[in-house]
Amino acid sequence: MIRPRTTLLVAFLFIVVAAVYYALSRDAGGTTMLVALGIAMGLLSYTLALGSPKG
Amino acid sequence: MTANADVLVPVVDRGESLEELVHAAEEHTRGGISNPVLGMILFIASEVMFFAGLFAAYFNIRSNAPVWPPLGNVEFNLRGHVLLPAILTLMLVTSSVTCQIGIWAIRRGDRKGLMRAFVVTIVLGILFLSGQAYDYTTLGFGINDGPFGSTFYTLTGFHGAHVFAGVLMLGVVLYRGMAGQFSARHHDAVEAASLYWHFVDVVWICLFTLLYILG
Repeated sequence: MIRPRTTLLVAFLFIVVAAVYYALSRDAGGTTMLVALGIAMGLLSYTLALGSPKG
Repeated sequence: MTANADVLVPVVDRGESLEELVHAAEEHTRGGISNPVLGMILFIASEVMFFAGLFAAYFNIRSNAPVWPPLGNVEFNLRGHVLLPAILTLMLVTSSVTCQIGIWAIRRGDRKGLMRAFVVTIVLGILFLSGQAYDYTTLGFGINDGPFGSTFYTLTGFHGAHVFAGVLMLGVVLYRGMAGQFSARHHDAVEAASLYWHFVDVVWICLFTLLYILG
């Protein structure tokens, strides 16, 4: 079973992609979407891992 | 034999009561998070993306504009208009604190504490909405006044709609609390409503900082 804390790597991955995207394009709108996607995906994966049955 | 029965066998051997057996089975098979709270967190994740779209549109329009705020017939001066929104921000932050006080109260089994805290939270939410409506009448520009007006009213308007939904949600929780439907063990709806309220609060802090402080 995946540990909930491990799933936060998903958020980190998207934040890294957002940082690279901003460094290359200087596009604040797209970067906002990527950062928010990271937050949302991190929240989703963390919650789903935390909420999965124990047994 | 079912999965739950497998769980119960060692407990039966220890001579536990039926209530303890059921509780043990629930604890064994249940996840670490309740369904209402899980659903609310997933909903909030989708709301993060919704507001991200609005923020991204704002950043995109702003970065493509030669001058910001745009020059035109109407003056867009939000920095000189920060007092009332700052008071509204303080109200919303305070409402989050009172909401959390309500959560702590029901976790202790204190229903009256929950009721008191949620009444204050709802009143602060209504005051915030009233203050925002008044603020709109004093700004001097409308949603039709170019990209600045449209993005400003879209961002703050959608946030206001979410505050309104939050007030309704807290109202339902308050009504159910008055009907005695919550206890220290069973108050998932209260936790879910409070999560939503905190989220709405965080979005407003981002909006206030972006629109009124950073300009």
